Amino acid sequence: MARILNRLEPYVALSPVLALLAIFLYLPLVFDVIYSVHDWSSLSPTWRYVGLGNFRLLWNDPIFWHGLRGNFLYAAVSLLCQVAGALVLAAILESGVVGRRLSGFFRVAFFIPSILPITVIGLLWQILYQPDGGLIDQVLQAVGLGGFAHAWLGEEATALPSIVAVSQWQWTGYLTVLFIVGIRAIPSEIYEAAAIDGAGALRSFWHVTVPGVQETTILMALITIFGAMKVFDIVWVMTAGGPNNASHVMGSYMYQLAFRDDRVGYAGAVAMAMFVLSAIAGGLQIWHARRSHS
Amino acid sequence: MNTRLRQAPRSRAAATLLLGVLALGTLYPLFWLFLNSFKLNDELFEQSWKFPEAWQWGNYPKAWQYGLGHFMANSVLVTTVSVVVIVLLSALAAYVLTTQRFRGRGVLHAVILGGLIVPPEVSLFPLFKIMKTLGVLDTYFAMILPDVAYGLPFTVLLLRAYMMVIPLEMAEAARIDGAGLLRCFWSVYLPLCRPALAAAALVQGMRVWNEFVFALTFVGRDALRPLTVGLTTFGDSLQTDWPVLLAGLVISTLPVLATFLAMQRQFMGGLTAGALK
Repeated sequence: MARILNRLEPYVALSPVLALLAIFLYLPLVFDVIYSVHDWSSLSPTWRYVGLGNFRLLWNDPIFWHGLRGNFLYAAVSLLCQVAGALVLAAILESGVVGRRLSGFFRVAFFIPSILPITVIGLLWQILYQPDGGLIDQVLQAVGLGGFAHAWLGEEATALPSIVAVSQWQWTGYLTVLFIVGIRAIPSEIYEAAAIDGAGALRSFWHVTVPGVQETTILMALITIFGAMKVFDIVWVMTAGGPNNASHVMGSYMYQLAFRDDRVGYAGAVAMAMFVLSAIAGGLQIWHARRSHS
Repeated sequence: MNTRLRQAPRSRAAATLLLGVLALGTLYPLFWLFLNSFKLNDELFEQSWKFPEAWQWGNYPKAWQYGLGHFMANSVLVTTVSVVVIVLLSALAAYVLTTQRFRGRGVLHAVILGGLIVPPEVSLFPLFKIMKTLGVLDTYFAMILPDVAYGLPFTVLLLRAYMMVIPLEMAEAARIDGAGLLRCFWSVYLPLCRPALAAAALVQGMRVWNEFVFALTFVGRDALRPLTVGLTTFGDSLQTDWPVLLAGLVISTLPVLATFLAMQRQFMGGLTAGALK
């Protein structure tokens, strides 16, 4: 009897974690699949099976494609700033070109936006972007570039790019810190050898740092794409997808469909698209991490 | 360090300038926030980069009276409970996965790690239905349960990485001395993992404190709202008095900022050990 109990112990110990994951992570995905093949709203008690009907609707929905384009814009800009830009920043900070103290200060300064609550960031930037009383337009006006002033979040052309810009401000320093860890793992002998061979700062960045952090770079790129496919909160706080659906990404469009328009089945189809795209990036990430470990 | 690169003074100056400009650009919006939280509304609409003509300290008590204290108390409650539960459950799971051999270990490990790639954003409506069925909508549990669940995979990963370095003999020796699985976990492994537990608690604490989407979607009563969502209602009612709103934003930023500055080493260490956003 005691031996049987002993055997069961590991399962019992894991059961709270497994139960929570089953109910709150995996079960909702199953529901998403079920919703996505039904025509259903939370008000009407009837479910109508529509097969792939919602996905056909999705295929012909210009707002969805526009939102998907938003996710890709998000991913592209983020790869440029948060991966390439952060790598360069990390390399400069670690190169010893500024003193140790100063480099520590810069690291913390760049990192700070990533710890702030999303609502603080959203409300602060809403005000900074305001056409009157907002800092950005005030500065443009003061330096004689008033012609470039915009109602940044209120105009269709500028709304999403303005949000994407805030995310770069928020996350670039975070990824810089992760890159710094990667750079520190490069043996300093390699840098010394490169220096003896007469390599300057740029050459040793290109030939030592970049290959040395290749694993980190791939991981960061995948994390960034994963984040860009699921992005929701910053968009919802700043514009809720407006004006006139111009700044939607998949996440905000899905939220609007599910909770505002009460088109739950269709929202499920959007959720599936979102999940598939982010899971590809996330899955590659895990696969890559496991492969490089073994 | 110095052997890495021998810079000419000019490139040193250029790099310092570049970093300085970027740091200024990063921190200036926060400085602007601080500065303008001490102004009168009219001052903000002119040249908002100027210093306040007279520092309006009164903006702060005014902001506080909008219920910030209450929102903050909710945030403290939800964060504390969630972090304790996340860290304990994850530590136990990581311990079992690291030290025990049992059938299905690989599969269960994969099930837990697989949670890393399930974004909560995808599941908001199903979660809403599940909460409703469980009868926890509009309670603290509607935040705590998903906050805990979505924090587990990362924390298990983090703690397991730490426990892998502890020699297995520690566990075996304790078992031979007659300690049960739980005893061995509680009195041998938990104390050994203290630094990792602290890092995990910090990272999860920040995450839960800043959590917005669950609180927005599953809680409708002002009385239960945490700071993140409370601020949006606060923002709505203060559309006409921005400096007071800004004062509220400063107040809500201070706890995270102070915690981060005090414990940045542990915090960054915890993040980089698992690397996920």
